[in-house]
Amino acid sequence: MASTQRTEIRFAGSGGQGLITGARILFKALALAGRQAAQSQSYEPTSRGGFCHSDLVVSDGEPDYPLVTGIDYLVVLDQVGADRSADVIGKETLVVADARLVPNPPAEANIRSLPLTDRALALGSHRVANIIALGALVGFTGICPKEALEQAVRAETPKKFADLNVAAVEEGFRLAEELAVA
Amino acid sequence: MSEQLTPLHGNHACALGAIAAGCRFFGGYPITPSSEIAERMSRELPKVGGVFIQMEDEIASMAAIIGASMGGTRSMTATSGPGFSLMQENLGYAAIAEVPCVIINVMRGGPSTGMPTRPAQGDILQARWGTHGDHPIIVLTPASVQEVYDETIRAFELAEKLRVPVVVMYDQIIAHLLEGVKMRDADAPLVERKWAGSEADYKPFATGDDLVPAMARPGDGHRVHTTGLTHNEAGFPTQHPETVDRVTRRLLDKLDRHRAEIEKFEAVDTDDADILVVTFGISARAARRAVRIARAEGIKAGLFRPLTMWPFPEEALRAAAKGAKAVLVPEMNAGQLSWQLERVLRDGTPIVSQGKIDGQPITPDEIVARLREIRGS
Repeated sequence: MASTQRTEIRFAGSGGQGLITGARILFKALALAGRQAAQSQSYEPTSRGGFCHSDLVVSDGEPDYPLVTGIDYLVVLDQVGADRSADVIGKETLVVADARLVPNPPAEANIRSLPLTDRALALGSHRVANIIALGALVGFTGICPKEALEQAVRAETPKKFADLNVAAVEEGFRLAEELAVA
Repeated sequence: MSEQLTPLHGNHACALGAIAAGCRFFGGYPITPSSEIAERMSRELPKVGGVFIQMEDEIASMAAIIGASMGGTRSMTATSGPGFSLMQENLGYAAIAEVPCVIINVMRGGPSTGMPTRPAQGDILQARWGTHGDHPIIVLTPASVQEVYDETIRAFELAEKLRVPVVVMYDQIIAHLLEGVKMRDADAPLVERKWAGSEADYKPFATGDDLVPAMARPGDGHRVHTTGLTHNEAGFPTQHPETVDRVTRRLLDKLDRHRAEIEKFEAVDTDDADILVVTFGISARAARRAVRIARAEGIKAGLFRPLTMWPFPEEALRAAAKGAKAVLVPEMNAGQLSWQLERVLRDGTPIVSQGKIDGQPITPDEIVARLREIRGS
């Protein structure tokens, strides 16, 4: 029987930012923590560049309706992702946004604007901004244990980048803690 | 428990379900939004000694799986609306020649080329009556990735056991949804086709009480004539009125005889429901949530969901609708299931169609809004 407990999460931005990978890693981490999820993504003739999103509906059992209706957590890595998600976010939505690429985050939401891209570049590659965001999201929300996230990151990313990706998770947690202290 | 679940997309779960069910031949032509089934089968079949052929079109695809099945191999094809239309002619052949086969139809917006990447549920009457003439067919409509896996396996079991084509239909959303799936044990026993023994007076289309003829295994020495023409128990064409009536009725009665095992449905909170929601596939996932929200508001709603669309679980629906003051039918077409319910529920219960044909899925909120309207009226 489906559960009444339901959390909706969206990774939004433009194609190629690792949004689907990010959702896939969180899917795995949640499974390791004993929760079930349904992941859906945009399915259109155009895929490179432009608006792209990957959604997770998280539940204790099989989620009833597997598509998002009102997002609890939004990770947004590009302005287009914020603009095109306006219809499914509200005042309560926690938004983890990249400070550089999302200059105008949604006005009516709980915004955490973070230097995701800058920290990714400092770690050695802009490509891990999605993983830093994931670390920050889990740091803010505690939706799954940090260990589960790290295990999922190792399982779902190429071996030669595993250490870099786990470092990105750490960086994300650090950003969440810094903001909590400030 | 979750550790045992394998994350899979709907279309991949379909392919792996087919492999687990013993499918060893796929003939098909890729089409959005079903292409991942063909792609996955092209990778999986060689690993288990099976054969994958990309055919020139869907007419040939259907012909290929019929041929492979007559050769003794469990066979499948996968397509979407335009391809499903092309398959109808040979689907009729599979029905009358009683050739087990499985057809996956991932529904998209129609008619014609329609909207390749948008979900729809508009093929349910076509699946029943798309090929001409009275014929038996089984149609299954899973609503989750787990069910895509399980129902694909069940499709092979029913096809083999009853010598009938079985269609599995879901939509683009379920096709590309990622969910956890409990996989079947690799050594789970397979349902066997009913094969002929060495009897001297073997007739290819004679049956016992189960109304399923035994098939001659290729190479066993029996002489078999297979045709799409109406044929007698010996397999040869006939227009003799009494014979035609007898063999055609046996063909149709075959599924009635096995209804209990074919029919599958889900009933949620139907016992005391004032308003019964009847729907299937992705729309039923929305309805499941809508019923929960409505109940919290004090609206006594229930859900009836056929997993077997054809033959339709008529008795089960009547039982679920007993006591309901209204029936709401949300579906991603202009009212096909609703039309069917008008035939099954002949007791005057108002049937409200909530057909949506804009290429967008029906949401729980939309269904709740209609439930509120109905309660208010």
